[in-house]
Amino acid sequence: MNVPIIDPLQGDFPEVIEEFLQHGNMKCIAFNRRGTLLAAGCVDGSCVIWDFETRGVAKELRDKDCVAPITSVCWSKFGHHILASATDKSLTLWSVLSGEKIARVTLQQTTLLARLHPGSCTPSVCLACPLSSAPILVDLNTGSSTVLPVTMSDVGTGTTPHPRNKFSDGSPPFTPTAATFNKCGDLIYVGNSKGEVLIVDSKNIRVQAIIPIPGGSVIKNIVFSRNGQYLLTNSNDRVIRVYENLLSQKGAANDLEEMSNASPVNEFQGIEKLKAVGSKCLILFREFQDAVTKMQWKAPCFSGDGEWVVGASANKGEHKLYIWDRVGHLVKILEGPKEALTDLAWHPVRPLVVSVSVAGLVYIWAKDYTENWSAFAPDFKELEENEEYIEREDEFDLVPDTEKVKESEINEDDEVDIMTVEKDSTFSDSEASQEELCFLPAIPSPDVPEQQDKYPASLSKLEDSTHSGSPFSVEAGQNGQAHPASSPLEVVVNSAAEDAAVNTGVKRKRKPSAKGLELEAEKGRKPPLSKLIKSMGKPSKAKVKLENAQDANDSVLDDAVTDEYI
Amino acid sequence: MASGSVGGGGGGGATPPPFRPYRLLRTLNAHQRAVSCVKFSNDGRHFASASLDKTLIVWSVQSLSQIAVLSGHSEGISDLAWSSDSHYVCSASDDRTVRVWDVRPPNFECVRVLRGHSDFVFCVNFNLQSNLIVSGSFDRTIRVWDVKTGRCLRSMDAHSLPVTSVHFIRDGSLIVSGSHDGTCKCWDANSGACLKVLIDDKIAVSFAKFSPNGKFILVATLDDTLKLWNYASGKFLKVYTGHVNQTYCITSTFSVTNGKYIVSGSEDNCIYIWDLQGKNLVQKLEGHKDAVISVSCHPTENKIVSAALDRDRSIKIWAQN
Repeated sequence: MNVPIIDPLQGDFPEVIEEFLQHGNMKCIAFNRRGTLLAAGCVDGSCVIWDFETRGVAKELRDKDCVAPITSVCWSKFGHHILASATDKSLTLWSVLSGEKIARVTLQQTTLLARLHPGSCTPSVCLACPLSSAPILVDLNTGSSTVLPVTMSDVGTGTTPHPRNKFSDGSPPFTPTAATFNKCGDLIYVGNSKGEVLIVDSKNIRVQAIIPIPGGSVIKNIVFSRNGQYLLTNSNDRVIRVYENLLSQKGAANDLEEMSNASPVNEFQGIEKLKAVGSKCLILFREFQDAVTKMQWKAPCFSGDGEWVVGASANKGEHKLYIWDRVGHLVKILEGPKEALTDLAWHPVRPLVVSVSVAGLVYIWAKDYTENWSAFAPDFKELEENEEYIEREDEFDLVPDTEKVKESEINEDDEVDIMTVEKDSTFSDSEASQEELCFLPAIPSPDVPEQQDKYPASLSKLEDSTHSGSPFSVEAGQNGQAHPASSPLEVVVNSAAEDAAVNTGVKRKRKPSAKGLELEAEKGRKPPLSKLIKSMGKPSKAKVKLENAQDANDSVLDDAVTDEYI
Repeated sequence: MASGSVGGGGGGGATPPPFRPYRLLRTLNAHQRAVSCVKFSNDGRHFASASLDKTLIVWSVQSLSQIAVLSGHSEGISDLAWSSDSHYVCSASDDRTVRVWDVRPPNFECVRVLRGHSDFVFCVNFNLQSNLIVSGSFDRTIRVWDVKTGRCLRSMDAHSLPVTSVHFIRDGSLIVSGSHDGTCKCWDANSGACLKVLIDDKIAVSFAKFSPNGKFILVATLDDTLKLWNYASGKFLKVYTGHVNQTYCITSTFSVTNGKYIVSGSEDNCIYIWDLQGKNLVQKLEGHKDAVISVSCHPTENKIVSAALDRDRSIKIWAQN
């Protein structure tokens, strides 16, 4: 939603680890399109879906057949499905809502990276980049696969004969190749070991263009920005390169087709022609490298708005994130724990990065939030530096003229529209033909029984207690027996009990926990309830409160008395 | 501040459907004490009422009969809210807890007790996704809870006096809170940061909620005034007056099913309906015998449900002719 009061300037890059997520041993991650859910693939073959708002586990995708470590996870466009690739050479398509396996295909090789076709709502085609062979297009329904061309050895024809067989022909062992769909999915960008990007039509599997990458070394990653306007490559020569995509977002495949038949290009033949087309597809925009340490990069990606590029150091035992602005400046190096990084993702809309460590934890990097004090005093203005104040002509008049003007500024007869919701501009590109799955229904897990025992107010017990006497004796009893201390201490006890209760398998740590305790402690110093009510000055103004003020007096007194024992 | 222009005729623009008056359809007497809150479910099939008698009652809209009585709170209940899918109800009580109830037949049981507030919990709401609950309390804090685990995700030291209302914006990114301290604050739901404070003459704010599209806030103050604020600019756009509201946290709401209106309870035992644009009173519903503390509009039909305090204790259903 268009929320005008959320500071637009907060749209920059993360600075500190805000929190970490722990659940099993996670290896790879992916945000859904809106960043409301985070999928993580685990070593035990399961996938965990985190509700990114509550930072709790929303679902676990688990099956007795899926036990091998997950190598990559990918959301379908509208978030209803997740594709996971595993080291047992399988690809598994899950339904997110039901948590059931929809399709499972076993390939000849382990897939390192699997991507669903971005254009279709009900995905059936996916792109798989195996460990040591050319990328393949896999139909998840039929299990048939098509190997994509990775080199243009066949000079002269312009269109290479592509191996359509199930690549059991012992095709030459390539080094890992990188590939990605473009935004619509009508083209596939393949990076090969010779340092070239091939643009392949995803329908007819023909190479339409070639872009040689400077340096000519193995391309390890190839990633589009979310809006499809930029593409980055990560090569073995330790350079991340950002390219501008010159093709239009829609109908790019047709444009390419036309381009290769049009006037200046069609004079060339073979590879020359493909390169001529390629020069009209991608244009080198920036190069990022660390000239000093000359390190290899890992898992580079764009920020949600494409303004930033983040890449991780591939050095062992290092958890370092480098953030550049698109203009080419290194703006931040974030250093995490001494655990190597295995995957990285930038939140689609927020200045927030999540990284996975080799230990299987997911770290959430966010902005170091500082209180905006002017928010508390709307009539104050924050100044960057001292300013000379020039008073208004009538500022100290007894009856200032401008006051009157201010009063009439508001035209109460203007029509207000309380219903129309503007479409979210960041997602306006979607033709939302299908309902997007942004959230999994939150089903409250039942209370832990031992907690209920502690509190006589639980459902079943109340039935008895109401019969046994007046409710206030119950209240008094509760305070007297279960908790000799009343409100303030109870808070602390409760939160501790809750923590213990939730810690069954799932851990979720929050950095400022110490601060939280402080807060609770502070509350402990508050005046007892009875005083509070008096000091409020206008207790009668509370809804309902008036009614039970007299009735509640007894219990309030109880509280006050018990408070003194602390 | 009660100087807002009353009446003034309808604003121009596209002509809305003519107002058809409401009439009393049924009076329901079930609660033993004052009824503090009534709300329709989002699917329009049920409504729930909360009372000082420590119970909640779920009613069928069609038959106007009781479907379930939810008991478990050890003190009176001040507020309730429905989850978007109408599967759950959460309730705020003076026993310092928020309870989450499964209200899908035949369950009707308390599935979660949210503990943490150190004083009466006075107001609650779900976000649209219904994975979060926000609650406001006499302990002057706002707490955000994870519905699934019951864990308190955030606690904001929000106000200097009791928090009287909390409400999520449509997409869940903001929370608005109102307090007796006379301010209305907007919070970033993700970070817990205070983004904006709306102050108007330090008169206690008794109720605040976002408009359906989240662009405005409807604010009630204990000087018989309802105002529609543009919270982004910090200016109020419309003032609705005529009713009596000096003491209680009376809820008001937007009626959008047949034209756009503002509906509010009042301490003169009536329900007031104003034209949203023209600010003119279009109808005053009489019938309750005590202050009308809570009103709710059906999501699709032209129906209003209202509840009143101790001298009345009834729930009344109103429908258009």
